[in-house]
Amino acid sequence: MIVHELHELQEKHGWLTSKGLHELAEKLNVPVHHLHGVASFYPHFRLKPPPKATLHVCTDISCHMRGAPALLQQMRDMAVAAGGGSGGEEIEVKNCSCLGQCDGAPAMLINDEVYARQSLEQLAYWAGQAIGGREVPALSLAPGAKGPYRTNPYATELEHYGALKAILAGGNGGGDDVLKKMAAANLKGMGGAGFPTNRKWEAVKAQPVPAGGKKYVICNADESEVGTFKDRELMKQLPWLLVEAMIICAVVTGAEVGYIYIRHEYHEQIHVLEREIEKAKLMGLVGENILGSGKKFDLSVFVSPGGYVQGEETALMEAIEGNRGQPRNKISDVGLMRAAPVFQGLHASPTVINNVETFCYVPAILVKGPEWFKAQGVNGCEGLKWIGVSGDVNRPGVFEVPMGITYREVIENLAGGIIGGKKMIAFAPSGPSFGLLPAEKADLKLDWNTSVDPVGRILGSGAVVAVAEGRDIVDLALNFTRFYRNESCGKCVPCRVGSQKMVDLIFGILQGTATQEDLAMVPQLAETMSMTSICGLGQVVASPIKSVLAFFKAEVDAHIAAGRAKTTADASFRSSATGNNGHTPVMITAGGKVLR
Amino acid sequence: MTAIATNVTLEIDGRALEVPAGTTIFEAAAQMNVTVPVLCHKAGMTPVGVCRACCVQVQQKQKDGTVGPPGRTYTAACMKTCENGMVVTTGVGAIESKDAGPAARKVEMARRTIVELLLAEHPQPCERHKEYHDCELELLAEKLGIKDPIFTPRSFSKGTDDSNPQIAIDHSACILCDRCARACAAVGNDVIGRMGKGLTSAITFDDNQPMGESSCVNCGECMINCPTGAITYSGGVPTKLPYGQPLTVDQLKELPLFSKISSAFLARSEGAVVARTLKKGELLCRQGEYGSTAYYILSGKVDIFLETDLTHVRSQPQKGLFNRVKSLLVPRHESPRSEEGDRTTIPIDAGVDLDRDNPIAQVGVGEVIGEAACLNYQPRSATVRAAEETVVLEMLRNAFDILRRNKQFKAEMEAKYRIRALESHLKSVPMFRELPAEFINHMRDRVKLVGYAPGEEICNQGDAADAFYLVRMGHVKVFEKYADGQTMVLSYLSRGQYFGEMGLLGGGERTANCTALDHVELVRIEKDDFAEMLKTFPDIKRKLTQVAHDRAASNRARSAQTKTMSLPQYIDQGLYQAQSLLILDLEKCTRCDECVRACAQAHDGVSRLIRDGIRYDKYLVTTSCRSCRDPYCMVGCPVGAIRRKNDMEVIIEDHCIGCGRCAEQCPYGNINMHPFELTVRDLSTGEVRQEVRRKAAVCDLCTDQCLGETEDPSCVYACPHDAAHRVDGQTFFNERLMGVEVPGEKTRI
Repeated sequence: MIVHELHELQEKHGWLTSKGLHELAEKLNVPVHHLHGVASFYPHFRLKPPPKATLHVCTDISCHMRGAPALLQQMRDMAVAAGGGSGGEEIEVKNCSCLGQCDGAPAMLINDEVYARQSLEQLAYWAGQAIGGREVPALSLAPGAKGPYRTNPYATELEHYGALKAILAGGNGGGDDVLKKMAAANLKGMGGAGFPTNRKWEAVKAQPVPAGGKKYVICNADESEVGTFKDRELMKQLPWLLVEAMIICAVVTGAEVGYIYIRHEYHEQIHVLEREIEKAKLMGLVGENILGSGKKFDLSVFVSPGGYVQGEETALMEAIEGNRGQPRNKISDVGLMRAAPVFQGLHASPTVINNVETFCYVPAILVKGPEWFKAQGVNGCEGLKWIGVSGDVNRPGVFEVPMGITYREVIENLAGGIIGGKKMIAFAPSGPSFGLLPAEKADLKLDWNTSVDPVGRILGSGAVVAVAEGRDIVDLALNFTRFYRNESCGKCVPCRVGSQKMVDLIFGILQGTATQEDLAMVPQLAETMSMTSICGLGQVVASPIKSVLAFFKAEVDAHIAAGRAKTTADASFRSSATGNNGHTPVMITAGGKVLR
Repeated sequence: MTAIATNVTLEIDGRALEVPAGTTIFEAAAQMNVTVPVLCHKAGMTPVGVCRACCVQVQQKQKDGTVGPPGRTYTAACMKTCENGMVVTTGVGAIESKDAGPAARKVEMARRTIVELLLAEHPQPCERHKEYHDCELELLAEKLGIKDPIFTPRSFSKGTDDSNPQIAIDHSACILCDRCARACAAVGNDVIGRMGKGLTSAITFDDNQPMGESSCVNCGECMINCPTGAITYSGGVPTKLPYGQPLTVDQLKELPLFSKISSAFLARSEGAVVARTLKKGELLCRQGEYGSTAYYILSGKVDIFLETDLTHVRSQPQKGLFNRVKSLLVPRHESPRSEEGDRTTIPIDAGVDLDRDNPIAQVGVGEVIGEAACLNYQPRSATVRAAEETVVLEMLRNAFDILRRNKQFKAEMEAKYRIRALESHLKSVPMFRELPAEFINHMRDRVKLVGYAPGEEICNQGDAADAFYLVRMGHVKVFEKYADGQTMVLSYLSRGQYFGEMGLLGGGERTANCTALDHVELVRIEKDDFAEMLKTFPDIKRKLTQVAHDRAASNRARSAQTKTMSLPQYIDQGLYQAQSLLILDLEKCTRCDECVRACAQAHDGVSRLIRDGIRYDKYLVTTSCRSCRDPYCMVGCPVGAIRRKNDMEVIIEDHCIGCGRCAEQCPYGNINMHPFELTVRDLSTGEVRQEVRRKAAVCDLCTDQCLGETEDPSCVYACPHDAAHRVDGQTFFNERLMGVEVPGEKTRI
């Protein structure tokens, strides 16, 4: 696999040399531009010798609210003051996208290791150690085991894989029974799309094994959307559920190969899952002839070379196939579904792809029954939901909640309310995807059917971000939109160019330089992006500003009227509104010269 | 089941139509004369659906006859195939039209916004629109009535690439439609890709090489398929030959040689290829002339031969006044020099090499002559005369470059050169002479022909040694790097020479850095094949080991010196050890040039002295050529006659053709061209005539044979101001280093 080969090559030299790429191209018999195209697409790969130390500060919403801009500035100043590294080498200081540590904000990467849940002073101290070429202690990110969880139907480790064993004992894979139960439980795609899970499995099951090929099961564990970190805890606390559900899926659908596609910053989860798979292998549940059933299933962890857009299912498949991780064209929205992943997924073969959380509910539904699962909901809703809560709350974290719980309950009870006893003025129901809603909407239920005009159904992946009084809503909308701009793959015009123009427009509002004509352009651009972008990323870029214009128009008008620039973003970060796509690192060279 | 329906019925903009299954909406609309605007698609290409300008609204007719809801998003018409019961709204022209419904207006508005977005990022007008008014983006904008884009223009330039002499790249005008990349892949080149992510993504050649240095074959397909001014023709190189019969594109296309090359590209190089018909005996080119064309023999035969006799210049003292010396031409058997070349062939700029004992060869149809002259602007290496009526194609660099990058031509040339390089180059080295034909045959399919662009690294000191190389064309710079960061060029290797054996025989590591100085082609023999050769032929191994051993010893001696002193000091050391330095006291020197005249007088009217060199405060030390860290004189010798000996001294071999290239290259003027009147015999006609021929000679500071211990060279003797002195290096430098007063008359030996 190309991504693996590139990983290996990078391991060897610390970066991808031109000579190395040429040799690899010859070995794999692909054009060298392909390898370079792939390598330059993913943030994990380096096409230049690595700097002495790298300091990447997450500047997305929760970290932004908890001091990331100042932290980033401080790191730059420190690196400049040190005149680069101890030996005059380059130090790379830059902002990066959400690291999935929003409950420990601000988070950062020091030499590619995640640091979070620390004071700003502590982070700055370690950054200083890294600049000085000294070792920075590895950090355990464990917030400590919680539970018991309703999602886990097993009381002891001995019971693990009970649902799978029962199916295998039932002969013929017990497939139809599984699908019936999933349908009865109304299990839907928990990544946010809400597509009935049983229908995906049925479609793949119904298709023949492609000639000379295989069917696939993929778990999308690449959660990288701002504010989303629920899968992080699911994988860490209940890895056996994910592995079991994927094996069940393989048994039911006839898939022979499975991948858990996981973001590379989740070092701990990668380790936990690999161990769990190893355990399943030893138990005869993964590999050839599963428990003597004659079925085989090869399951492995595929570490993503990085980027939020990889969470888009077809982009993810492109990455596994060794291509630039650009989403495929969806030509199946209307009419026949020929191009959907269940028909033409990985390697153009039938593929089930589900979110971590979706898979993890399967054992409980099978063990405890669909009725039990549905009964977990409250306020007339069905099922469970794992959510991440961050922002201006006292106890940010991951929670297993009954579907139907209100946002207010989540924020005020589970997450301990707003910090400093302040008033909540807004909340994001699921990261940037559905924008910012006013506090009074917090009485809405977390449910599939909860819909708010103009952003639509707001459940998403359950990445709740609470905003306290005193925050600038326009600044937060700009921060959200920048995230999308930074993460756009660049394949289609509306997203590649439109996201930058949207950032420009919101920046104009924030600065107070936007005109009424500029404001009038927002809906036109928003409509174009949502209707013509290839994938969901481009389609939701406008959500933050659409919601702000709908619910916080007074703030927008105030900005324009006053022409004032009230932002917590630092000056250099501001410059990224035009030009710099946010991934261009700032290099501090010998003598402290700053290069961009 | 009946056969699959071959036609589908759908509705586009309210009109029903039937199309064959598999027809895209874009194609179906075209059948109704509705042109859905598109930028990233072109008929005949696989659609990619990235510009989104062709997005349309698609609905589906339900069983009950009603029309279902529109899709959640619009669909790219270039990709989506028509299906039964589809209801498509293209929105084309909806903004101006009074009858258009709101859905159509919305679709057209989205399209308009996309064009607005692209236009904000695009130079207006771009190079292409400026010149031809046919940038597809700007034309579409005009059609939609967009003048000034409503969005803020991009704040930064994405840069340009003018490394290719014919094709210019303007990344700012690029809309990332991928048409160039698809066109490039479609013709089998596959050089262009997309790099980076998001707003800063861009098209790229290989691994982000400048286009001119990439593996691009200059076919021009990308340029033809680019919708904007991102890839344009830039001309650049003079493209017309003033003589011969120019060939039209059609005539060129008829020749198998050019049949695979795109017409549009050939059209732009028109006049750069001419056909020349030579009568028997007519000359095509002469050795030593400068030329910038390559020849391809279409029919007939030519003789390639050297007009020079194989001698070198030797100075001989004359009896009598003024210490006059005389220069003579002597062959090597009369005046052997140390480390003189022992090759049996003379490498020339053609597919063949010439035999040292009888330097003439005949070649025929399909042969290329003058590659290095054309690509690297070397003087012609030999004289070429038609042996019968002959038609040759003569081409300028731009045309030859197109050809050279053509896969088929490349393959033909490769097959030819592989065997020749092994047979003539390898076997002309005495130690390899014994290689039997079977072994050469065995190797033929195993060696690879590899090309390097100017400046490209071939191997680095310390790299694992993985191959042995023979130089087929161009110059390879071999240099050592020292701890203080300085470098020393050991050699410029040219055609027929080899390298890489040191690493393979020694510790398995490259002992020096090698880079391509100009367009270089090498025959690469893999490590294992090389090892096999040595195993099979122990005698070769023994001899080669000896050569490597000698070279390693001299390298070691040099590196031992450079460990204790910096390179400039080492260079000084070279002078320090010199037996005889000529220094000029610049305070006394009036620049009267008497010394130069005296030198000329001493050497048959040709001065070997030019008043220049390294300065030590008021002294000018006329340098001997061994002090060059980078002996540029060696670059471009068309017959590889100038080289360094193991002790770094420069030697000009007997087969020098007197073209004067080395003399032009030497920055110190230490190489001079001596004219000699000679009786020469034309090898191809047998005719004998008197001619003035030139040979290159290096200033020897009148050492060796011409002077006794107590005599001054002519230049010193002639100086009327007592500014010129001949000193030995040690004396001079010791005094300089210890701050002792000027070497005056007393130091005169």
